[in-house]
Amino acid sequence: MSGNRIGRRRRPPWLAPALLIIPAFLVVFALAAYSAVWLLQLSMVKLTFGDPFRTAEWAGLENYQWLLFNEFTTFWASLRVTAVYVVGTLAPELVIGFLIALLLNRKMRGNSIFTAALIIPMVLMPSMVGMVGRLYFSPYGLINYFTESLTGIRHNWYGADLALWAAVLVDIWEWTPFFILILLAGLQTLPVEPFEAARVDGASRLQSFVHLTLPLMLPLIMTTLILRLMDVLRLFDVIFVMFGGGPGTATTTLPLYIYRTTLIQRDVGRGSAASVMLIIIIVSLTVLLIKLRDRIRYEA
Amino acid sequence: MKLGNLRALLSSRFLDLLTIGVVAAFLFPYIFMVSSAFKTRLDTFAYPPIFWGFTPTLEHFENIFSDMNILFYMKNSTIIAVCSTLLTILISIPATYSFARFRFRYKEGVAYGFLFLQMVPGISIVFALFFIAGSLNLSDTHIFLIVVYLLWNVPYAIWMMRGFVEGIPVELEESAMVDGASRFKAFRLITLPLMAGGIAATAILIFIGVWNEFSVAFFLTSTEARTMPTTIAFFMTHSGIKWGPMFATATIGTLPVVIFALLVRRYFISALTFGAVKG
Repeated sequence: MSGNRIGRRRRPPWLAPALLIIPAFLVVFALAAYSAVWLLQLSMVKLTFGDPFRTAEWAGLENYQWLLFNEFTTFWASLRVTAVYVVGTLAPELVIGFLIALLLNRKMRGNSIFTAALIIPMVLMPSMVGMVGRLYFSPYGLINYFTESLTGIRHNWYGADLALWAAVLVDIWEWTPFFILILLAGLQTLPVEPFEAARVDGASRLQSFVHLTLPLMLPLIMTTLILRLMDVLRLFDVIFVMFGGGPGTATTTLPLYIYRTTLIQRDVGRGSAASVMLIIIIVSLTVLLIKLRDRIRYEA
Repeated sequence: MKLGNLRALLSSRFLDLLTIGVVAAFLFPYIFMVSSAFKTRLDTFAYPPIFWGFTPTLEHFENIFSDMNILFYMKNSTIIAVCSTLLTILISIPATYSFARFRFRYKEGVAYGFLFLQMVPGISIVFALFFIAGSLNLSDTHIFLIVVYLLWNVPYAIWMMRGFVEGIPVELEESAMVDGASRFKAFRLITLPLMAGGIAATAILIFIGVWNEFSVAFFLTSTEARTMPTTIAFFMTHSGIKWGPMFATATIGTLPVVIFALLVRRYFISALTFGAVKG
């Protein structure tokens, strides 16, 4: 288009798009590179938090070695807590979210009000959600009132057995709407023809759900899970405010582990090494799952 | 036949009620939180909990404005959120346009590069940032937080807005350019006004994100630049947690965000999925 004009011909075609991207590129990649250099450096030194950086001693890969192989390391235990937390939140969120999306996927007055209401839990300040959660899960709190009314039992949610599950329940409340809204949007854009064909062929509702709805929704379900996985793996605020990783290490997911190692044990080196591991875990899991999703999408 | 109709009606009524019940269940913890801000300490701790019929009090709101100086933290949050949002949009619009309208090598590679940087958890680099702030003499300043948040906001804005630009037919710009307008003029007069709604929605969503952000703000600020979400530490005193003021702060802190979120609700699904799913 602009190539026709005299004088513009000499400008290489990549110049304009490059110039437009440069400000964003410089800001983001400079910030990332600067942080990455510092993070890697910190992960390879021995340094007590609070001491000036010049007191740091070079340690090479010792911090990583300690985290992964030392007999006293609690890194693996925190990975286990993280795994329980991830599965404990995502599985029920997906199932409940899908069921509610199916429920909302009917012509009904006030549907837009309902979807608007579902946005609210997701946009509340997580730190305040954590504080409120702390009170709701207290021995004489809201949750125990409901469990006592229904089952006659009040639980000790602050104890080591249940603390993680209290945090899981808070996340389920906050983020099931995420699955509801996205899967509902997906259900509403499903093609009509295959369902009509199935009905003509005498398929039951359950059959068309299993053989049509589920496979057609699978790529979107994967996308939603990947997005949530990224978020759950890095979740810090709610658990920190509710339990700070305790009691003991009951709620020490990897982000909490980073905080505790760096600020409570004041070991900047090991904390930074754990940070690097968290980044590696998140990025590699996401890449893996995106590849898997694209394969499923391709086959479908 | 009639019986079948009745059954269909009953089951659809039942599903309506179920829907209302489910949505109410999701709203209830928030409504109870807001109502608790108006309860006396005694009513907050009543067991069984008091759901309605208590005498409302404004003492906690008076308390946070007079004793805890909550306005100062609101001001910090507003400065940081507004500045970071505006800077983000300013930097992201040209890049978005470039991704949406030009073809060049490694385009998707660069776009995914931005996305992967967006994925870096705040908690994993916050202590490195802590040392960086110290070395630059920028500890506990607004400007440091404003700039740091760009790392997450700019990639997010690019991915969000790219869809909006790609949704505007390129022919509109081309016909303006045939009429002699420069590419920039065509963008400014045609594409920019058409994507204004998308920009506003993106800005609001970024504002919400920064306003709520905890992990980075908590460890990078202490007194001067402390934001609303990180004031929770003040409610934990030696004599226990000050629940009333906490509920009042939570109510005030979440109110603007809830209003904003409802304003942009039709963009919300694309917002949650980086534009991958259209609502």
